[in-house]
Amino acid sequence: MAKYCTRMGDGSTVYMTKEEIKQDVLDGTADAADMGGIKDLTADEIEHLIEIICDTNRIVGVARGEEVVLSYDVGQLDMTGDNGNSGGGVPASRLNGALVHERTLCADTFELAHSDYSIKPVKPVIANEMNDMEVIQNNIIIPYFYGAMPNMGLYYSPDGPYGNPADLMRQFKIDEAQEQAEAAAKHLARDILYVATKIDDAGSDGFNFDTTASAGDADFVGTLTGVEQLRKERPDMSIMLGMAGENVMGIHGEIEYDGKVVAGLFPHQQVALAEKAGANVFGPVSNTNTGKSLAWNLSRAVTFVKSCTDVSSLPVHVNMGMGVGGIPMSETPPLDAVTRCSKAMVEIAKVDGV
Amino acid sequence: MSDFAKEKQAIIDAMVAYKVPGIQKAADDAKAAGMEATEIIDVMGAGMSDVGILFERGKLFLPHVLSAANGMTAVVKSLEADLPVDKMGSTLAKVCMGTVEGDVHDIGKSICSTMLQCGGFDVVDVGRDVPSKEFVAQVVENGCTMLGMSALMTTTMTVQRDVIALLEEAGVRNKVKVMVGGAPVTQAWADKIKADCFSESASEQVDKAKALLE
Amino acid sequence: MSIAHFVASGMGGLRTGGDLVARMQFTKNMKVGKAKDYVAKKLGVTAFDLSDEYILRELREDVGIGVLTGVPGTPKGIAAKMNIEDLLGIKINSCEKFRKYHAKR
Repeated sequence: MAKYCTRMGDGSTVYMTKEEIKQDVLDGTADAADMGGIKDLTADEIEHLIEIICDTNRIVGVARGEEVVLSYDVGQLDMTGDNGNSGGGVPASRLNGALVHERTLCADTFELAHSDYSIKPVKPVIANEMNDMEVIQNNIIIPYFYGAMPNMGLYYSPDGPYGNPADLMRQFKIDEAQEQAEAAAKHLARDILYVATKIDDAGSDGFNFDTTASAGDADFVGTLTGVEQLRKERPDMSIMLGMAGENVMGIHGEIEYDGKVVAGLFPHQQVALAEKAGANVFGPVSNTNTGKSLAWNLSRAVTFVKSCTDVSSLPVHVNMGMGVGGIPMSETPPLDAVTRCSKAMVEIAKVDGV
Repeated sequence: MSDFAKEKQAIIDAMVAYKVPGIQKAADDAKAAGMEATEIIDVMGAGMSDVGILFERGKLFLPHVLSAANGMTAVVKSLEADLPVDKMGSTLAKVCMGTVEGDVHDIGKSICSTMLQCGGFDVVDVGRDVPSKEFVAQVVENGCTMLGMSALMTTTMTVQRDVIALLEEAGVRNKVKVMVGGAPVTQAWADKIKADCFSESASEQVDKAKALLE
Repeated sequence: MSIAHFVASGMGGLRTGGDLVARMQFTKNMKVGKAKDYVAKKLGVTAFDLSDEYILRELREDVGIGVLTGVPGTPKGIAAKMNIEDLLGIKINSCEKFRKYHAKR
């Protein structure tokens, strides 16, 4: 039986028959459906996905006229940074980075980012960020945002003033762990308001809250609260809220936003809270399992993201980088895999942007 | 002769239900029905595995996991008089857990520590940004037979290899099973640096750690 | 990675009308189809044309909203964005700030 050259979740090449690919696609969508309490992909969607994966061309793409917006996270760090943020290690200025992305890398939007890419360390250097934002806004034409992760882990011991809930939980101090998480969430919301209003004052086109809820449910609540306060303060500011994983990890377990426990929420539920808080664009995430095939990972990711686009009244820009959106967890994700994921997300999950 | 199916299910249901008193009651009922203390403990071990899987699938949360573990601890204590000596307060192995130097991400590592602790391991969590030599010192000092290292960045995962080299230098590599994990870490990487085990998730880590003991 | 996504599914930014569609998504919460229709109508082209480099290259220069290549004399930066404000009927934050600071003279 003919075998197709495809990928594993770590990026390595694997040869699979069409039947094996189909089985992985079925298993991937079933896993997402079971986990998220959402619908499996339909038979037609499954067939289409198999066609995309089995295409023997090196690259695939959407039909002309079906292109979507390509918004960038992590800013100029993908040029200047080290491999930790997929950077190329090119010592260029932030202005260079912005204009190169605008003029040669086909970006529809771009952003400014601090090397630590987190709200907390930006606060004390916000004046520097404001100055660079002003200078670059004078030169750039495409929408240019500021991007940072809420990264509430930095507010916990030993990096921050609050007790580390994971450590406290392990000592069975559950109430204390929850109190610390709630206090940290309030602090995060305050810092979000501070940093985002300052950068808005510098002429930013908006703010991208990237990798939200990386520290669990309290991180999500802190970010949503910060976004809500920001929306009240700046009614016209553009706000993008992107997630860290398909599921909000329940570290606190009971913390609520808008009367709803946020732990365990999946993309189709997360987007409703993002909209309620005041976001303009939502970025769902599905994490890649390196031990499974591209077929399994992409099918699972498309199922999660489609469940989100099905119910969202906000534009949905799916996260599609190293290890998310079906893309292999590899520092240099293979071109064939990336283009297949990109096409599937547009044609099957019906995203508004990548 | 009863297979105690009803009692076993009641114990597992109570563990998943986030009720410490419920866990104790289910264990008491099982004992009253004639179940051996060791069998009750074994069922609770299976219940903890279920709890771990449900946590990873977003159906249960960390307080639930700890509550189940807390309940299990209480039950073991209440059954102490009926347990053989080797089951009393015994742990599967002593594990040193930490995030490598230069990396401050500790949530994933902490969840792995928690799951191992709930799975019956004695965990020495040495935190994050742990100097490489400190890993070796902690392993030796605490008599750990397992070492788990997390790295959340491609820039820091290489430190896992450095620590393994230091274990070899110290002459203790063959006494310690090394487990690696973290977002950029893969089985291929684990193979390359000659780690003993790679896990995709915290619950998988518990299973793989138990398998390493066999 | 960025090039791979552009090749597979991206609009192309200044090469075409991707930045304009993005602006409508981020300021008016428009989904991609609606945003494309809105921008296309303002430019007098079809939504299909919006990703066509051949059409948009000339059109962008004609309406002064910035072009991909370094053409002397074409509006750049804030000047191009002020023209985008007029074209799309939106306010752009950096242009508002520019006007505010300019008024201080």
